[in-house]
Amino acid sequence: MTPEADEMVAVELAINGKPTHLVVRPDETLLFVLRDSIGLTGTKGACLEGECGSCTLLLNGAPVNSCLVLAAQVHGGRVETIEGLAHGDKLHVLQRKFIESGAAQCGYCTPGLIMAAKALLDETPNPDEETFFRGMEGNICRCTGYTSICEAIRGAAREWSR
Amino acid sequence: MFSQPTTLEEALDVRARCGPDLLPIAGGTDIVVAMNRGQLRPAGFLDLTHVRGLDAVRHENGRYECGGAATHATLSRLPVEALAEAALSVGGPAIRNRGTIGGNLVTASPAGDGCVALLALDADVELAHASRGRRVVPLREYFLGYRKTALLADELITRVRFPKDWITAWYKIGKRGSVNISVVCCAIGRSPTGLFHIALGSVAATPIRAPHAEEIVNRDGLTDGAIAEAADAVRRDISPIDDHRASAKYRAAMSVTLVARLLRRIRDRVKEPAR
Amino acid sequence: MTQNIQTIDVPIAEPFAEPLVPPSQTPYVERPHGPVGRSEDRIDGPEKVLGTALYGADLFYGRADCFVSVVRSEPAHAEIVAVDPSAALKMPGVLGVYTHRDVRGTNRQGLIVRDHPVLAESRVLFRGDAIAVVVATSERTAEDARRAVRVDYRPLPVVADMDAALAPDAPRLHPDGNIMGGKRIRKGDADAALAAADVIVSESFCTQTVDHAFLDLEAGIAHYDGRTLTIHVSGQWVHEERRLIALALGLPLESVRIICPATGGAFGGREDISIQIYLGIAAIQHPGKTVALRYSREESMRARHKRHAMRIYYTVGATRDGLLTAAKITVFSDEGAYRSTGPAVCRKAASHATGPYRIPNVSVDVYGVFTNNNPTGAMRGFGACQMAIAYEGMMDRLAARLGIDRLEVRRRNLIRSGDAVTTGQRIPIATAVECLDAAVRRLRQCPPPRPTDPHKSRTRPPALPPHLRRGVGYSVICFGLGYGDGFPDASRARVGVSDQGRIQVFTGGVEYGQGLITMAAQVAAEELGVSVRETDVVWADTEQTFESGSSSATRQTYFTGNAIRLAASELKEQLLDIASKLLGVHPHELELRDGCVVGRFDPARSVPLAEVVAQGRARGYSLEATALFKPRTVCEDFDTGQSPRAFITYLFGSHIAEVLVDIETGEVRVDRYIACHDVGRAINPQSVAGQMAGGATQGIGMALMEEVVNRDGRIANPNFTDYILPTFRDIPPVECVILENDDPGGPFGARGIGEPPLIAATPAVLSAIADAIGVHTHTTPCTPQRVWELLHPDEAAVPPDARFSLAPPHARLER
Repeated sequence: MTPEADEMVAVELAINGKPTHLVVRPDETLLFVLRDSIGLTGTKGACLEGECGSCTLLLNGAPVNSCLVLAAQVHGGRVETIEGLAHGDKLHVLQRKFIESGAAQCGYCTPGLIMAAKALLDETPNPDEETFFRGMEGNICRCTGYTSICEAIRGAAREWSR
Repeated sequence: MFSQPTTLEEALDVRARCGPDLLPIAGGTDIVVAMNRGQLRPAGFLDLTHVRGLDAVRHENGRYECGGAATHATLSRLPVEALAEAALSVGGPAIRNRGTIGGNLVTASPAGDGCVALLALDADVELAHASRGRRVVPLREYFLGYRKTALLADELITRVRFPKDWITAWYKIGKRGSVNISVVCCAIGRSPTGLFHIALGSVAATPIRAPHAEEIVNRDGLTDGAIAEAADAVRRDISPIDDHRASAKYRAAMSVTLVARLLRRIRDRVKEPAR
Repeated sequence: MTQNIQTIDVPIAEPFAEPLVPPSQTPYVERPHGPVGRSEDRIDGPEKVLGTALYGADLFYGRADCFVSVVRSEPAHAEIVAVDPSAALKMPGVLGVYTHRDVRGTNRQGLIVRDHPVLAESRVLFRGDAIAVVVATSERTAEDARRAVRVDYRPLPVVADMDAALAPDAPRLHPDGNIMGGKRIRKGDADAALAAADVIVSESFCTQTVDHAFLDLEAGIAHYDGRTLTIHVSGQWVHEERRLIALALGLPLESVRIICPATGGAFGGREDISIQIYLGIAAIQHPGKTVALRYSREESMRARHKRHAMRIYYTVGATRDGLLTAAKITVFSDEGAYRSTGPAVCRKAASHATGPYRIPNVSVDVYGVFTNNNPTGAMRGFGACQMAIAYEGMMDRLAARLGIDRLEVRRRNLIRSGDAVTTGQRIPIATAVECLDAAVRRLRQCPPPRPTDPHKSRTRPPALPPHLRRGVGYSVICFGLGYGDGFPDASRARVGVSDQGRIQVFTGGVEYGQGLITMAAQVAAEELGVSVRETDVVWADTEQTFESGSSSATRQTYFTGNAIRLAASELKEQLLDIASKLLGVHPHELELRDGCVVGRFDPARSVPLAEVVAQGRARGYSLEATALFKPRTVCEDFDTGQSPRAFITYLFGSHIAEVLVDIETGEVRVDRYIACHDVGRAINPQSVAGQMAGGATQGIGMALMEEVVNRDGRIANPNFTDYILPTFRDIPPVECVILENDDPGGPFGARGIGEPPLIAATPAVLSAIADAIGVHTHTTPCTPQRVWELLHPDEAAVPPDARFSLAPPHARLER
């Protein structure tokens, strides 16, 4: 179905620092626009109701569930996804720690977890337990359990403050 | 159609002109869930996330005045315990960063955590229309029935006002450690004049106040006997149902437990010297 | 005075291995000196943390030409009167609507018995049964068209639960009636032994329907070029999927190719065929087009099979000293609408009915019962995990009845090396007691700092507030690995070497997060004396790999690990043979080490592997080898359930949970968690600990919160808002204790780890709750409401005596 031209919405935004112009249907979510229209498939969908955090990315620096954000709402916004984290071959410290700690098994929750953890550590580089949970509680991992993930984030936190 | 006003006047104007054709949306944490489930396919949207000032919280004459698009994250940082804890109990950080108090009030779920906390604060809600102007509705009169409210199809929720210095307490029973839909939640606010405002969620068709219970503690104070009596009286205020989340019996028993628990907690606070 | 707070950098997941038998005394296996036994980084780690790994739904971008959606039954039980696609076909963008009439093959699916129409023919048996497949130019159009396909039903009475299914006048869901079949065990004389027992304890247990809830929703693409149907969809057994699709859709086997993309969890939930077959139907109808399909969470939950809900009636007899003398067990298992893996689940429940306990007289009857719920099939620990809830619950009850310590009752009855389990199979190395003791030793140690807050004191508050109670719970379990039971169970692997000298491992097994491909690389690299970084793994592509059996049943490390080791060993012979000609040393005196072939007794004689490979190519060596690992098991006797070797080997484990229970609200918090498993040998200790923590997390979820609520054949909670999973706050750090007692038949002594952590977790948490509140649990999950109801039985939503209205076991198994 091709929507009428006047039904489409022009959106200017920055994705991983790159100015991007998109034309979207009003009811398209940011998640599906990123994944299906521009091929940034690192951000995952899993529950599509904000319960699991797999689709977490940063909008203007804050974590959001991209499955619940309309792409058209993001006009003028700054979006950071998992694809924007590494610098060339150099992994982001969270990415490195996730590998070292064995925190990515099936890997499906990993991009969302890493983005949520980045938001947490950006705001609180050395979180206490309550802050840690508040930052991470929206992300579900079904296969790895949380032990190694906590360890990876704590490991990254140790390097973060340096 | 997608309208993205940047001023409240513009937003009210669009709302008055287009009414139900454009669905007002802020965080989308209820609306887009329904869309993703295939239960809702709106013809267009009135996006409130770009309206300047609608997400702000102001402090005036001992009361907070927060915009309809104030997020749970914003509310969770206020020093009003019941509201802050209720806001923190809504989803994870990504939900709290998007979901708004206005959205909570529009959805008017019986389990709406923010609604319950605001009821315990005896909050007022300001409903605005482009030409008819603004009207202030006490929140306890705002909920009309199951997901029915006093908000008209051409109005927007512009402000919610509630007191700053009440002693409050909050408890929510869910089935896990976080990101819960409440099985039962309870908030209690004590005004500086010593009046109690007891509110509960998930025990009736709307978030409710518990007048029978309030009457007892307002009359007798927080003696052990009054707390027990008030907690028991809450059974007359609620009308819980059996559903896949819990049984009516459990919800009733938990209403009693939580009212007693929070009244005791408030009693302990009242005894504490003022901070 | 200022206090220095020191951060102790002890990662909690770092397992500590405690070999029970000194390595010098294990006669069975060669000690690894390469990558095996090391926590090598996962070889799929980088792509997963970068977000570049491509899962099923990631294949849509730039490839999908048209989109598929599936028309599903709304009623749970009905005859199909008519399917009218005309309104859908009129919609612009709709390319076709296909029903069973368009399926050219058998139109049948099912893992053990092909009893499930791919597209319903005359009747639907659950709300979610597929009826038609829609193909359209956009996903949204496909969705709209799906809704526009009109299906007329003649409703039939819904058999909503097992009580209804076993009622005398129940509608027959299958031609043979509503008893799918079952399994029995008769060992000794249970009735006589019960009559003579000093003490008899009886209880009934009720376990819930569980969803796999893997995060990576079913999604994928398919393409048919007129000759070959290529399907990119995550599964757990690509070769079986190929067979099934070829048969059902009427294609020659060699015309179907299945390629598994990156897979976000499976847990048994990808064993039954899912979207592969609908994609196949659509692709065949639209040759040259790439068709795409993905489920929403609701469709995923509606369409997929589930874990069997079971009702377990358990009676044990014991001596005054707590020695078990008899067990009589009857199990009813909700099979849902079709068989799926049900027959195997019944068998597993029977063979694991008494767990790791030595009971001379045992009688077990397990019945599968058809209902109009979702089909129930494979899920991690199937059959065994429900029975563990029961037998561990019985041990706690027996201890309480006799006033004996819970651990002591277990120790008195746990099997020791050389004892037999209930099927009569003798277990040469039984380490149940060792697991329990190691876990208890761990409990007595101070818990390590939490990674969530290394500074937080872990000393307990001296007194709990009056509404909180603390409890500790224990579990000990055993688990037979592989399909067992005489079922042909095999894995074939191929190992080769590229011109650049890289080792290439080919396996049909699926990597869905459990670490299969890293294990494969480690085993091959160990055998061939190279590092994991010099090893590539090609997996789960029916054109490139041989069949390795399913990635399930905790079997891939044992089976495919062995097959890879054998193939690598064959390849090694070639390499040594070539090198021997280059070095002038007898091949038996050469070994592969650090990427070179070196003289065992004269390390100065050495040649790099790359040169050996170049010489080998020039001399016409194949430089690849395949191997088959196919150990035999013996089918259990029909009448007695006895078998000298029902399973290839057994695994043991023990968990300990500490909980805090709010006795006013029934809320439970798991405060400390210890998991101990004997894995034979940990090929990758970090991966093993990851499987232990992940499995324990699922088991805790099953104990406390996860439940598919079926109401009159309708799932009341088909989403993650109401089907809830454990979050960060629900799971304390899982303290992993890995025991290593080599398995004589495992690769480098390894057994496996996949399922046991889940099986052991649920009973440990239930035991802890019982300890905290002083009332034994019988129904899972122990939600706050259920815990509260245990304390207030008069207020229970379902009165305790109405929990089991099933008639006593009257059904009879026919040969």
